[in-house]
Amino acid sequence: MKIIPQELEDIVGADNVTADDETCRIYSEDAANLPGIAKQIIDNQFDVVAQPVTVKSLQHLLRYAMEHDLPIVPRGNGTSGWGGAIPVKRGLCVSLTQMNQMVHLDDYACTVTVEAGITWRELLMILERMGTTLPVYPSSATAATVGGFVASGGFGIGSAKHGEIGDQVVGIEAVLANGKIVRVGDVVVGPQPDDLHDEATEGTEWLSDKVGGSIRLNEVLSGTYGTLGIITKVTLRTIPKLQLRPFACSFESIADLAKVAQIMIDSALPYHLRYLDNNHTSKLASLIGFPAEWDKFLLAGALHGTIYDNDDGIEAIEKIVSENQGTLLDEKRADFHWDERLYPLRFKRQGPSLVPAEVTTPVDNLPDLHQDTLDRLGNSKFAVEGTIGADGVASYLVWILDDERKKFRYTIGWHRSFDIASLARKHEGHPYAVALWNTRHAKVFYGEDKIAKLKQLKKDVDPRNMLNPVKVFGGRAQTAWHSQLFGFGVGFILTFGLLFFGPSFLGLTRAGDLLTSFPLQFLHVQLIWYLSILGGAVGLLAMKLMTLNQALAMGIPLLRFLDKFLNR
Amino acid sequence: MTKPGPIEQSGQKNDPYVCASCGNCTLVCPVFRQMRWEPYGPRGKLSITKSILEKESEFNLEFTRKLFLCTLCEHCTTVCTTSIRLDRFWELMREEAKARNLTPAPVKFASESIKRTGDPFSIGRASRLLWAEGMEDIIETRISAKAEVAFFLGCNVSLKHPLHDVARSMIKIMEHAGVEYTLLGEEESCCGAPLLWAGEPEGTPTMVEKNAQALADLGVRKVVFSCPSCASTWISSMHKSSGTSAVRKMELLTASQFINQLIQKGLLAFEEQPMITATYHDPCISARVLGVGKEPRNVIERIPGIYRVEMVSTEEDTRCCGSHALLNMIDPHLSAQIAEMRLRDASVTPASLLVTECPRCEMAFDLATITLGYSVQILDIAQLVANSLSSEEGEGDVQQ
Ligand SMILES: Cc1cc2nc3c(=O)[nH]c(=O)nc-3n(C[C@H](O)[C@H](O)[C@H](O)COP(=O)(O)OP(=O)(O)OC[C@H]3O[C@@H](n4cnc5c(N)ncnc54)[C@H](O)[C@@H]3O)c2cc1C
Ligand code: SF4
Ligand code: SF4
Repeated sequence: MKIIPQELEDIVGADNVTADDETCRIYSEDAANLPGIAKQIIDNQFDVVAQPVTVKSLQHLLRYAMEHDLPIVPRGNGTSGWGGAIPVKRGLCVSLTQMNQMVHLDDYACTVTVEAGITWRELLMILERMGTTLPVYPSSATAATVGGFVASGGFGIGSAKHGEIGDQVVGIEAVLANGKIVRVGDVVVGPQPDDLHDEATEGTEWLSDKVGGSIRLNEVLSGTYGTLGIITKVTLRTIPKLQLRPFACSFESIADLAKVAQIMIDSALPYHLRYLDNNHTSKLASLIGFPAEWDKFLLAGALHGTIYDNDDGIEAIEKIVSENQGTLLDEKRADFHWDERLYPLRFKRQGPSLVPAEVTTPVDNLPDLHQDTLDRLGNSKFAVEGTIGADGVASYLVWILDDERKKFRYTIGWHRSFDIASLARKHEGHPYAVALWNTRHAKVFYGEDKIAKLKQLKKDVDPRNMLNPVKVFGGRAQTAWHSQLFGFGVGFILTFGLLFFGPSFLGLTRAGDLLTSFPLQFLHVQLIWYLSILGGAVGLLAMKLMTLNQALAMGIPLLRFLDKFLNR
Repeated sequence: MTKPGPIEQSGQKNDPYVCASCGNCTLVCPVFRQMRWEPYGPRGKLSITKSILEKESEFNLEFTRKLFLCTLCEHCTTVCTTSIRLDRFWELMREEAKARNLTPAPVKFASESIKRTGDPFSIGRASRLLWAEGMEDIIETRISAKAEVAFFLGCNVSLKHPLHDVARSMIKIMEHAGVEYTLLGEEESCCGAPLLWAGEPEGTPTMVEKNAQALADLGVRKVVFSCPSCASTWISSMHKSSGTSAVRKMELLTASQFINQLIQKGLLAFEEQPMITATYHDPCISARVLGVGKEPRNVIERIPGIYRVEMVSTEEDTRCCGSHALLNMIDPHLSAQIAEMRLRDASVTPASLLVTECPRCEMAFDLATITLGYSVQILDIAQLVANSLSSEEGEGDVQQ
């Protein structure tokens, strides 16, 4: 695969392509501070970054990538931390941020259609000026793109009432990995001329044939992290903008908090519901100052309704909270926590680095999961927060403070992130996202049936696994030369050790003699050395052929062992 | 490759690691919004800095260029999730660039000019009173007069012809209100802010003190600035000032704060204006650093016949005009594009008048009205107020 930037320039325009090393490095990062060791199992820098501005140029870009065996990764604004937008096998990064226009607002049908690269904040600003708003948006709204959140799926602000982002999607336009343009669901483009109509109709029919009604078409593109197609437009549900009434309450225990949260969800009260554990409130108190909430468990959110409904809602909340040993905080604190909803990572200042662990669990299980987390993380400094969805499932996000400059300790500490993901399984949960780092959990995440169908579809649209390779469906990692050298070393030492001690241990004197013979007359080298080199080569090959999951399956226990050994 | 020194010394060396990569800063950054590539936005520049600290990248000319393609508008600082003082960080990085002799030529020119002629444009003191044309009689009596109030014009208003009316307007306002005031005239020097922007902060306190001491010697207790950057530079320097307590106790006000005080005291009388729709653009430094947002709005509202509408992104959330921190000298094209971007926010309002209180914003928007082909009148708040004063003192709609 050789990339010729000029050819890409011909497709998307010279100003919209760069192969500048520094730029490619920056676009190869997401929000996670990966330890250096990650670079051993993924080839972690794009060769080139392109920012297409039209669906057609994106389609040509995809076709070019497929023809030239060029891995291609869609990217919004890189605010996710699960590896979905980072390179695994170098290749081309397609940043969607220049496709950022609002396409059509349909007041009557309560929908809005936007291009994938618009940020949620920008969209909210436009909608709110027109008297409508969004049922769900992520707490990364200031930077996250509509395409990025829809492609990832998940909870956001508003999920307590309206569910996940996938439930708000009315239609999606995308270019599939094979270059076909599809429109699934109802993509409302409004009265303007629609050049893509015929092609999109044909593409959508093709996709329907392939999927055959086995999964909802929206689900092909929402929650699959850009592995099957690149989202270009999204039609979203809108809701009328009514009164927002923030509230916040504090508790002495997470059990009380969970109980109250469950009651609130059951009675369909809040629009948004977010919680922080006592570690989080204490650490925030010392950062931005709210001493009253020091060491408390905090449940904060907002009602969204008519003034009368909200008055009744607040009254109901007051009652529920006081009946369950909680304290309803005053309006000022409530407003403060509402404003803070867009700043969930403030706490990182105390790091300076964070090791994240993000999972889900039913609200009822929060106390047990929290206790297990405390036991598992021992004396690590960490804080927990999460959002609660309409179905009573909560995200449970553990931020473990660390310092990436202490390279060795930081690296070995990463097993904690994977440990929490496994812990969630014990509590009827699973990792919050699959993307790159949790493909091992894909079956639990999607369900066996759905992942099997998605895998089949992946084979149909992208047989050579070029669009966002290794994400969701797993695959072979691209090991760096250090790892390959490591593989060689391990293979060599193991073979040598086995052949050196094995024969005498087993009393095989003839085999021992053979191993110390010189098979090639002109080289004064014993057979054992040839065989050890062969063992090294096998080790190296194993490293090269290893899948990412195999690498993680070997690496995580090793990190855990080292961490225990060093008695963290 | 050594580690950047000023960052180490300033206590901000953790910041590139503290960054959560949330992107809040990048999406508001006016330079990123124009350049469209991450390395030009704050998140990208922090990533490069981290990479320099990790000895994986070089602090080179290309990176320096990115550091200076920044208006120090502080928008990134106000939205930062992890409370990084990004504006300060960029200033420190500029110091580092200076230490490595990488400062861009236009910036060097500005700093050398200040040392040579007392202004960043190399125009010289002899031109500092050209603005007073037509009101020499009044001004002559005010220069170096003993008074409690001083009007500090700043280099742009003193020396750039299109801005001379701003100075004349403030004089009209003070005369109308019967304020006893003084001016430094040709003795006024640059406030020193461009030295901060050039990565030479050590020169700034001397500049501030020189001006401030001269005013203190005239008995001044209140200084009115026609440029918010001068005000902010004075305010931050005075905290550290080794000057006399008279200097440290001075009240430092932007034009709108001062005019608002005059209105509150009932010293200004306005004439009915012919139904003008106006919008107010908050200069970055007024709104984000000095917290001035209510005062100019109050002033506009008190002028009869002026109807005020708001653009998107106001007060602390205001968008930059593109010419702060020498960007208009470093990359005039980029600076002009940023001004156009902000002016577009005004163009979707019904306003036919855009009011602000920063001379650089005014120059930038004046140019942008031409390049955008969007006809809107641009006025400094002092000009609007002076134009609306009743012709006879004490007449008109006297505010109580
Ligand atoms: C402060 C903060 C708060 C957050 N809050 C939330 C939250 O409330 N809920 C939540 O679920 N997550 C949250 N996240 C995680 C993240 O912000 C979201 O997943 C977000 O929606 C990602 O958007 P993005 O534009 O940055 O996408 P990226 O991070 O760039 O990409 C995310 C994934 O989507 C793919 N992708 C991007 N654009 C497209 C496209 N157009 N077509 C196809 N695939 C695409 C990428 O390949 C990648 O797999 C938060 C992150 C931060 C830093
Ligand atoms: S100060 Fe303004 S121009 Fe400079 S990086 Fe921050 S937001 Fe961008
Ligand atoms: S806002 Fe702050 S934390 Fe977020 S990316 Fe910018 S510098 Fe980093």
